Order: sequence, then C-alpha cells, then structure tokens
Amino acid sequence: MSTALYPLASLVQIEKTPSREDGIPEELELDLRAHGCKLIHEAGILLKQKQVAVATAQILFQRFWYVTSMKQFGIGDIGMGALYLASKLEECPIRMRDLINVYDELLRRDAHRLKYSTGPSSSSAHEFKYIPMSYFGSTFYDLKDALVVAEMQILKRLGFNVNVVLPYGTLVNYLRLLGLTEREDVPSKAWGYLNDALQTPVYALYAVPTIVSAAIMLATRQLGIALPSSPESCWWELFDADWEDVWSVAGYIMRLYRERTPEDHARVLSMVTKKGVRSWLEDQKPAVLLP
Amino acid sequence: MNYVQLEKLGEGTYATVYKGRSRTTNEIVALKEIHLDAEEGTPSTAIREISLMKELKHVNIVRLYDVIHTETKLVLIFEYCERDLKKYMDVHGDRGALDPVTVRSFMYQLLKGTSFCHENRVLHRDLKPQNLLINRKGELKLGDFGLARAFGVPVNTFSNEVVTLWYRAPDVLMGSRTYNTSIDVWSCGCIFAEMISGVPLFRGRDNQDQLLHIMRIIGTPDDRVLRKIATEGQTEGQAQKQYPRYPKIPFSQVLPKASPQALDLLERLLQFDPAKRISAAEALQHPYFSTSQPMYTQPTPFTPAVIAPQYQYPQGQGQGQGQGQYQYNSQHEAARNAAAQAQLALAQPQIPGAGYGMQYPQQQYQTGTR
Repeated sequence: MSTALYPLASLVQIEKTPSREDGIPEELELDLRAHGCKLIHEAGILLKQKQVAVATAQILFQRFWYVTSMKQFGIGDIGMGALYLASKLEECPIRMRDLINVYDELLRRDAHRLKYSTGPSSSSAHEFKYIPMSYFGSTFYDLKDALVVAEMQILKRLGFNVNVVLPYGTLVNYLRLLGLTEREDVPSKAWGYLNDALQTPVYALYAVPTIVSAAIMLATRQLGIALPSSPESCWWELFDADWEDVWSVAGYIMRLYRERTPEDHARVLSMVTKKGVRSWLEDQKPAVLLP
Repeated sequence: MNYVQLEKLGEGTYATVYKGRSRTTNEIVALKEIHLDAEEGTPSTAIREISLMKELKHVNIVRLYDVIHTETKLVLIFEYCERDLKKYMDVHGDRGALDPVTVRSFMYQLLKGTSFCHENRVLHRDLKPQNLLINRKGELKLGDFGLARAFGVPVNTFSNEVVTLWYRAPDVLMGSRTYNTSIDVWSCGCIFAEMISGVPLFRGRDNQDQLLHIMRIIGTPDDRVLRKIATEGQTEGQAQKQYPRYPKIPFSQVLPKASPQALDLLERLLQFDPAKRISAAEALQHPYFSTSQPMYTQPTPFTPAVIAPQYQYPQGQGQGQGQGQYQYNSQHEAARNAAAQAQLALAQPQIPGAGYGMQYPQQQYQTGTR
C-alpha cells in the first residue's frame, strides 16, 4: 500500500498561523474556525448534501487557514467555496444558486443574532425571519463572485492538494479490533467525537489513526470502559499513535465544549467577513499604542 | 508566461490545447488552456486532473509539468506526445490492426501505466485509444485524467457515468457504483483486442445495446453472477432485468490473428464478473510478455512502424532464455529498419489534442457496420 497521501500543516505553519501573524489571538482564531465549520455543516444540512462532501469541505477549510490569514478572506466566503469545491470532489455537485441562497440566509441570520446579542434576551420579539434577496439586487452577484474567487483561492493556495481521507472506516476497523462493537454506545459516541473534531484543526494537523484513537479514548473514558494502558501494552500503540498527540487532539475537541460568554459569541459573529476581521483589528490598535 | 504558444492542436468544450515551447529549455510541450466558467467556477475535470496527475510520475503516464493559474484561465503544461493511439492505428496499422510486436509493446506499457495508477490509488475511468498518447520514441502514455478519481480503503459510491461506452465494463453498464480498479482492466482488454484487429471490439449504441454486444461475444454469465452484479447497482425497487442467453464465442474465432498467449491474456482481462478479472499488475506477469513461443500463427504482412521500446519483461529474461530473447530481438531488428519510414510518417501533420481531453471534430467510427 503506497499512498493515501493527505497534506498536514508544517511545524512553522502551526506555530504561527497567518491569522495570528496578523494579530488575531489563537483562541479567537480557533473559535472563528469552529464557527466557519458550523456554517458549512448547517449549509450542508439545508442543501441535503452528503456527509462526505460536508466533512471534506470542513477539512479543506481548516487547511486553508494554515496558508492564509482571516484578514485576507472571510470565513463565510471560504466556507462557501470549500463546500462548493468538496461537492465537486465527492461527485455530488450542487447548484451555485442553491448554495448562495443558503449562505445568504445563514450570514443574515448571523448578522441578526449579532444585532440582538447584546440586548435583553427576549427571544420571541426579535425572531429571525429570512427575506430572500431581491431579484435585481447585487447581493447574488457579489456572493457569486466571492464564491468563484474562494474556490479558486483554495485550489491555488493549497496547490491543488485536495485529497482528503475521512476517518470513519478507520474507526470501524479499530473498534472491531478492540472488541468495542458489542455495545452500541461506544461506536456512536466515538463517531460523534470524530464529527465534532471536524470543527477543530486536527484533520489538518494529525494523521487519521491519531484522531481516531483520540475519539476512542474520549468515548471509552466517558463511558467508563477500561482499555489496556500499562506501559508494555498500550492500546493506542496498536495504531501507531503517540500518546501526546492523542492527548493533544482530545484537547482540541474538548475545548469546543468550553463555555463562551455572550461577548465571545458576539465577537465571533462580528468577524465572519474579512471586513469584520479588519475592523476588529483596527479597534485593537489604539490599545496597543497607549503608553 | 514561460512558454511560447504555437499552433492549436485541438479544442473541446472546456479547454483548448496548443503546442508550446519552453523559453528556457526550448522543450516542446502541450499547453492545455482551461477557461474558468463564471457559471460553475473551476471545472471539476480540471481539478481532478491536476490534483491526481501532479502525483503520478511514470514513463507511461503523461507528465504534468506545471500549472499556471491566472484570474481568467488555468493553463496546464503537459509533456508533448506526437499522437494518440487511435490516430496511430489509422496511420500505421493495416486497416487499423497493428503488428504483433507493437501490440505487445503497447499492451505492456498500457498495463504498466495502469498498474502504476492503481498502486497509487487512482482510477483512470476513461481508458480508450484516444486517451493513450504515443511519442516519437514509441512510448505509450496514459493521458486525460479528467474523469479519474482517487479511491480509499472503504469503497465509496462513485458516479456511474464514467468511461466512454465502448470501453465500459459490464458491471458499470449494469449500474454498479462500487466498482474498483477492475473497470480500467476491462478497458485495457478492449484496447488490446482493438489493437490486434483494428476495430473496436464492442460497439454498442447505448448502455443496454453495449451490454448485449458484450454478451454476444463473451456469453451471458450465469444467473448467480448477474444477480450479484445487479444487486450492487440496484436503484431501489428495480426488478432484475432479463437478458438473452448467448453462448460464449471463443476469442480465437473473433481474433483469428492472435496468438494463444494473447488470447489467454485477453480472456483474463475481459471477465464479465469484476471479481474474476485479473489485476493490471498480475497481467504484466502473464507469459504473453515473456514467452519464447512464436507470437503469432501467421506472419504479419508488414513491418512495424516505430521501434517498440525495449522493456525488461518479467520472468527470467536475460538469463537462461536465450532463445526467447533472440527471437524477440530479431523482431526488434526489423522494427529498427522501419524506423526511417516511421519518422517520415510522423512528420505528417496530426491532431494529437485528443489525448489531452479533446474531441475529434467528427464521429470517429461508424457504428453498425458489422
């Protein structure tokens, strides 16, 4: 078996991502990545797109931010481009018009949430109602341009390295090997962790066996199932996974579930576009310059 | 751009191919210009072609040297080949049929390239004479990866709209979406037969007709096999189709010119049941490529057109098989003598754009002549 090659970020790219280089703090970048992936996920559901295409899009999206800063491209646009591209790669293409309609709704919903996020939480009073874009307006054409550019930029900046390997088959194999397929809750929990991990950068950082091991570790710990972990027989070594890496992947996943303040939420919502990112960065500047 | 654009070689729906010359090395290349469509962005054929061919470096696969990406277009720089196999057979063949030495050499190279793709987990999915390029040295190279796909361990469901009809495997014709490397092997078999006889082996008009053409020659398989393949391609609630029961016609009747070894290999390549089809790597080990037997029962009436490049055929060539070696080499001599002729023939203008994903202006074959 020769190649199932999928690119992973280099150490230099990990240590200093282009966005961090531009002044976006690590925590914020991770939240923005997660939000971009949630948008892809929601768009996928609204479009009834296959899960393989959605997962592929999320992985391409995560890779992209190791070569490009969020100051240059918005997470909304790139997410849309990634879903469009992944749908072609997985041979289930979607119509541009449908994708644009769906993203328009999602982005406007975000804008709406941002507007009412600071006020008192009277949810029923300010319920979001989507008004389709006007037929003669420029919204559609603007989004279409953004989509074509996003797709091309993903291809260009990733150097057409769009091969993605999804973890699900590996998970099934590993669970069989560990004899964990008897109970239904283990596979479904681990499967869930793998899906949640799509909102983190791990698929652009670690090999599939490592990520799958982390999902198994989290699932079995949560369910209180013991696996051989004494120094001479550690289960993860069976899969060529390094304990530190497994632990790190698990950390990325668990950080998704941490409580966020309403301010954190609002900040993410305000930075979905590159315009939002730029104005946030502008706002940060004076604070740095003060004595 | 680092390349001078020369004459146009061909034009298709989404790309134009030009001959080009590198400004730095003076090397002749093929430039495939892809127009970026505002309606659907970057064509998926181009995405597949670039992402897969970038990794596939092999003598029997057209090399993708470079990709130039501008605002409005995408230019792929390919290794230049004089012509495709279809054109080659028209020009050098005896009514399309190639001489045994050339057939063996091309078949070996075709299987080499195919097996390299499969080793690297790439399905070509569109092997046909128009997509196989032949260069001046007589090297055969797989081209046009616009329909190719990477495949992983768990078998995904793929599109079943692949492979030009005449070279399409029966399991794909029956709707299978879980096909594998075996679909390329089927196409190799069809091409093999076509090189020997000069005409495509199965020339159906549509999906169903194609399947009947296949069954008329290799016979209708038994119900168990049909049922197995049909369930893989099932669209829900579809009743199983009934097929006429055709007996198998021996390949020796279909291709009277072919040697027993060639027929045996063909038999293994063209198995109805994909699970029984030989792999490209196994096919390379077939005695057809290493035998010392006279290859063809009849002497061929004409000399080969281009020197068939010498390959290290497997199975003990070199030591202890002097007889076979000599035999093969003497045929090589004849080939070399014809080289001058070949050069002349190659000097004629051709349309080699086809293998880079171009269409010929007119329909290549007339159907229904048989």
